[in-house]
Amino acid sequence: MDNTSTQLEHHSKADDAGGKTHSVIAVCLGTGGVAAGGNFVFQKFEEEIKRLNLGITLGKRVCKTAKTGCRGLCSKDVLVDITIPGAQPLTYEKVTAAMVPEIVEEHLVKNTPIEKWLAKEDYHKFYDSQYRLVLGNCGVIDPEDIEAYIYRGGYEALKKVLKTMKPEEVIQEIKKSGLRGRGGGGFPTGEKWASGAKYSADEKFIVCNADEGDPGAFMDRSLMEGDPHAVLEGMIIGGYAIAATSGYIYIRAEYPLAVKRLHIAIEQAHERGFLGGNILNSGYGLNIYVKEGAGAFVCGESTALQYSIEGKRGMPRTRPPQSVEAGLWDKPTVLNNVETFGNVPIIINRGAEWYSKLGTEKSKGTKIFSLTGRIKNPGLIEVPMGATIRQIVFDMGGGIPKKKKFKAVQIGGPSGGCLPESLLDTPIDYESLLGLGAMMGSGSFVVVDETTCMVDMARFFMTFCASESCGKCPPCRIGTTLMLEILTRITMGEGEEKDIEVLEQMSDEMKVMSLCGLGQSAPNPVKSTLRYFKDEYLSHIRDKVCPTATCPALHKFEVTPEKCVKCQACIRHCPVKAISGSSKETAVIDKAKCIKCNLCYEKCNFMAIK
Amino acid sequence: MKTVHLIIEDKPIAVPEGTNIFQAAIDNNIHIPGLCYQPKLPQFGGCRLCMVEVTERRTGHRFACAHPVSEGMIVKVNTPKITRYRKSVMEYLLAHHPLDCPTCDKSGECGLQNISYDLNLAPGRFKTTRMNVPVIRDNPLLELNRNRCVLCGRCVSTCKEIEGLGAIDFQNRGIKTVIGTAFDKPLDCSFCGGCVAVCPTGAWQDRTLGFGGRSWEFMKTPTICPYCSVGCTIVLNTKASPPRRDGGVDTVKRVTSDDYTGINEGNLCVKGRFGYEFIHSSERINTPLLRRGSELTPVSWDEAIACISENFKKIIAEHGGVSIGGIGSEKSTNEENYLFQKFCRTVLKTNNIDNLSNIKSPFLNGLIYKSVIHGFASASIKDMETATTLFFFGADITEAHPVIGNMARKAIRLKGANLVIANARNVQFQSQARSDVRLRYALGSQVTLVNAIMKAIIDGNLVDLKKVEASTNNFPALRDQLNNFDPKDALQLTGISADSIKQAAAMLTNNGNSYLVCGKDVEEDPRGADIIEALLNLCALINAGYNADANSARISIFFSRSHNNSQGVNDVGVVSGYLPGYADIENASSRETVENVWGVKLPDDMCKKDNQDVFDLALQDKLKALYIMGENPVVIHPDGKKVHDALQKVGFIVVQDTFLTETARMANVVLPSATFAEKEGTFTNMGMLVQRLNKAILPVGNARPDWQIISDIARKMGHAFAYTSPKDVMVELERVSPVYSGIIYDRLKRKEFHWTSFFLTKNKPLTYTFGVIEPGVLNISASKDFPFILLTGASLNHQGTFSRHTKALTSVAPECLVEVSRNDARAMGINNGDVVIIESARSKIKLKAKVSGKVSEGMVFISEDYEWQPVNLLKDGAYTPVRIHKEIG
Repeated sequence: MDNTSTQLEHHSKADDAGGKTHSVIAVCLGTGGVAAGGNFVFQKFEEEIKRLNLGITLGKRVCKTAKTGCRGLCSKDVLVDITIPGAQPLTYEKVTAAMVPEIVEEHLVKNTPIEKWLAKEDYHKFYDSQYRLVLGNCGVIDPEDIEAYIYRGGYEALKKVLKTMKPEEVIQEIKKSGLRGRGGGGFPTGEKWASGAKYSADEKFIVCNADEGDPGAFMDRSLMEGDPHAVLEGMIIGGYAIAATSGYIYIRAEYPLAVKRLHIAIEQAHERGFLGGNILNSGYGLNIYVKEGAGAFVCGESTALQYSIEGKRGMPRTRPPQSVEAGLWDKPTVLNNVETFGNVPIIINRGAEWYSKLGTEKSKGTKIFSLTGRIKNPGLIEVPMGATIRQIVFDMGGGIPKKKKFKAVQIGGPSGGCLPESLLDTPIDYESLLGLGAMMGSGSFVVVDETTCMVDMARFFMTFCASESCGKCPPCRIGTTLMLEILTRITMGEGEEKDIEVLEQMSDEMKVMSLCGLGQSAPNPVKSTLRYFKDEYLSHIRDKVCPTATCPALHKFEVTPEKCVKCQACIRHCPVKAISGSSKETAVIDKAKCIKCNLCYEKCNFMAIK
Repeated sequence: MKTVHLIIEDKPIAVPEGTNIFQAAIDNNIHIPGLCYQPKLPQFGGCRLCMVEVTERRTGHRFACAHPVSEGMIVKVNTPKITRYRKSVMEYLLAHHPLDCPTCDKSGECGLQNISYDLNLAPGRFKTTRMNVPVIRDNPLLELNRNRCVLCGRCVSTCKEIEGLGAIDFQNRGIKTVIGTAFDKPLDCSFCGGCVAVCPTGAWQDRTLGFGGRSWEFMKTPTICPYCSVGCTIVLNTKASPPRRDGGVDTVKRVTSDDYTGINEGNLCVKGRFGYEFIHSSERINTPLLRRGSELTPVSWDEAIACISENFKKIIAEHGGVSIGGIGSEKSTNEENYLFQKFCRTVLKTNNIDNLSNIKSPFLNGLIYKSVIHGFASASIKDMETATTLFFFGADITEAHPVIGNMARKAIRLKGANLVIANARNVQFQSQARSDVRLRYALGSQVTLVNAIMKAIIDGNLVDLKKVEASTNNFPALRDQLNNFDPKDALQLTGISADSIKQAAAMLTNNGNSYLVCGKDVEEDPRGADIIEALLNLCALINAGYNADANSARISIFFSRSHNNSQGVNDVGVVSGYLPGYADIENASSRETVENVWGVKLPDDMCKKDNQDVFDLALQDKLKALYIMGENPVVIHPDGKKVHDALQKVGFIVVQDTFLTETARMANVVLPSATFAEKEGTFTNMGMLVQRLNKAILPVGNARPDWQIISDIARKMGHAFAYTSPKDVMVELERVSPVYSGIIYDRLKRKEFHWTSFFLTKNKPLTYTFGVIEPGVLNISASKDFPFILLTGASLNHQGTFSRHTKALTSVAPECLVEVSRNDARAMGINNGDVVIIESARSKIKLKAKVSGKVSEGMVFISEDYEWQPVNLLKDGAYTPVRIHKEIG
């Protein structure tokens, strides 16, 4: 695969975006970048450039700073790209404001890059094994500048659609591409558009679901922060295809940066005539509104989302009627995920045929995952469908830190399931994940290592579902609470043998009886941990032992002598001085003094305390 | 509509397309368990109990309330698999439910209990996850126990969709989800009790029941509500304690409603559902009272009746029957009122009879009859549920006829009905109507407004004008009048923009049936007759152009009446101008039928229309005796002072009533009469629907039904009033009255009798002749001394003597308030709850103020339904100038 060349191609284009004769300093200002101090770095660069007058003269070259969106490798933030015309663009990682003057002085003025701060192998490996298609612009262009987007071919797809294609041709093209909904369900987008186009009404809506609520998911957020115009362009094309009269982006209010950038993008698109009453003089008109959600997970469910836009309480309703028939304000409504819309301009530009060559037989294109958990390089990655979990975890993610062993990966958040090591070579596509009890979901990818108790993890996700249930139907409202109660009992060492059977029964009952996807999929984490890690449940229940020694109630607070390396970390951290030992003796915990605060366990890197 | 055939539980059925499986099963008496589905509410789909196995193209599990029927569908309700899943959901619900059935009023009629029983639920797999939140008792009528709630959402939906309020909604998320008010403020709503009626569990409770009985102990008797003129069916729940076998006597413990009985689909207002306590009020008169000196002393029935008989005989002998006056009752049954007028006309030999609704608007009977014979008033109130457009003219539906509001909201929700509300006040009507026009006219400009609407219809060619001209008389005159009418005048006089008028005109002429409710404000307006004539013109203009094939616009008119039987009392002839059934009393030939049945000859000199009110005659010393049945004119008559003075001039007054009212206190003989719950008979509602009462309990104390009292007096006076029951009376009334002809008393138990439709099957509607109504100007001017105009009207919480003696209602609305506009209040420094003195040229009263957006500047509004507040002492007409000021100190 030609990942490297794609990457380079993007970089060189970025140069051009700033002007061929310009040196460009691109600072990552996605949420990860900002959190790592990106704004200070950016400010410092500007100050330095001003101080040294680099903006005007730098060997007769003008120097510019640029903001970019998230580029994925958030663990190495702040990432700064420096491109000097004629030279390879170079990336500095973990840049702080204090490093800026030196970088400016050495690299920009003297043209001698500071080797020690440049991105290491990890960084390159992270990017090289990806296929950044939808994320192509993220981290490369300034998301607050429509020119940058247009320069990189933005809105060409829209022009093509409006000038040369009929709505039904657009739908046909999307159908042919095999694009499936990236929100998790994987419903063929073309089919959905076709049924949306079938209904006629005085008002029709196209809605973008940006209510990304899974714990550990930030794909949509990064896309909207890094390349908001791509999402808009996809929506406008979709709107044209189904003859929508207005569009809504339903976004979590917890994403202030994405909200801000979407507003900027919409305003700019209006100025350029890509939105409004008569888009590019085609006679088609569309306005897009941003509606901020109030932070309910269930509002990611399409019908609850529509109620929320209408100003009602976000509670799912029964179907039929489907949203395409009577959705928002009882009008035909097509609702797609952010990433789905992000794919649309690419399909139009490059053609369905090209697109459909990517991926597996039934799942086409690429998928963005947000890689988190016990992994060396947490961040945002994009891989073609069909890539294996092993590739993602070990090639891009860099494996498990602290020499711990990989245990499982939870795909799809609280609605998904976990996959154990034995299934590392599973290719990622909708069907195979579902068959194994996991789910593509929106794409959260949480890696867990051997120190994680799977019962406790199931309990964590159940806590999430129980508190996010809207309360409408008893299987979800009461079922999640009852399941949580059983799981809590198990982790407290009060589990009974029959609990496993009850959990299995409930998993089935809730799946069948719940009203919406939240309740139907809430038992998935329990179901899949029961499937792959049943012995962990059994050892909690029968032996009253947590194999990973995670569940505090089951801790014995004893040192395993074989594992102890006599580092004394536990001794240093014990607040009541209950641990004795030295560099020569293994540590011993005095149970009379121990207050079971669990600090020794957490500080031990060798899992010697159980 | 297309019919779809399907099989549910091996039973082949046919239902209209678009029906869901649950409804199809209900309609065909097949039971599907469920807690959230309620036919009158929007589908919710929350309880998940109605899972069924559906075979269409393939077999799968569906939820019956959410899945529409299709041709050839096979539905199975109870397969082993479904039962297992259903049991699991019930198990979850019961793990959450407190299971406090022994102390729950709902026990025995609880959905949760019934389904648990049906499914034979064994002890569950779970420890409980019960909630333990305090029961909310922040108001005197409704109690919310959230621990028992299954979150079916019915109450939320009822409150919003039927009552239009949305006072409650879901709160919180997950297991903490509960029903509650915004910010947990005390419940502030109309207290219709719809939440109690639809709640499948014991979460909502009627506090007036107060552990008064278990559901299986109650005898349930459906009967008609004794308050407003909508005629809702209420179900009296009665119980005897000690039990009947031990000699106990039934008492009314609560009122419930039944979705399938009556016109109201189980909807009631606060008065209907909670206003029953007066039946067993300790203040009821238990025995006849006779004035001895200044005291009213208890006597036996025989003594009282003998006294009445002697006095009446003496007065007739000395002064002639003409010197006796009679006031019939808007609250008594048709049979009783019929007997009352027969008694007055044949026994007392007087035609000086009247009723208060006729006194308030003497022209109304004639105009209603006119609208009937022209076919404008042919609809039944329930038809409003299918309306295209609803037009409330001078009617405060929310306060006066709340259940009509429920019907209107149903039309708005299901049929997308339009709404036009014309009123001088900014009356409240909560609805989700997409087209909602409010015409807030200036006082006195009503005719102009109606004419402007007609002009908009004619100018816009909104009806088939050729057809109108061909099928009516005198249309050109109307057209000429309207041609000369400048829309700018309309704006100036009414204060309503031409656009709003055009919009209203367009809505009224939309295809389909429109319904016009002509309210009390119009009926009691000094120019009421003209306004109604103008409205009849409007009806004629729309209806004459009706084309059945095109389903073009058609309009029906209803006249708002105050009381449960204000229509009936006039129908049976308790007015000087008409014999029963609007037969002209001055016309000898129309008297003939009556005379034949009664076996008496009514003398010509007695049979005169008298335009004078009975009380005027008394003031002129022409009356020696007055017989008042079930009324309190001292307070209810628009001119309180006149009645007070008049009664003092009459030597012998007989009052029969349930309570010792202000009028009864001035009587010489007071007779205790039974309430609606203690008797049979019929009431006629404002839509001309005759409905039957059912006797739920024995008369309280020594009370007797009015029909029996009248018969007793008549017999004592030597006349053969040989009626053994209201049925006997109705049989005679049917023979006498042209409008009730065809009514069969026994059949009323199954089906109400709608007299106008029956009337119109026998009599073809007459050709309408347009009258030209000059807009004119009504001079309502406030003077410098009295700068405010006093408006009066109905109140949701009270009506007359009954509500006054009902603790539930007096605790919800303890005080009559005077509504003052925000600006006036600010100018005078009046705040909510301040005591304000309202003073007219005649009198003054003291009330607490309510600063309100409902009245315009320069107006104040007082409800006249708080019987203990004699607002009528202030009034000297419909619009009385008053001054108000804050009480100092």
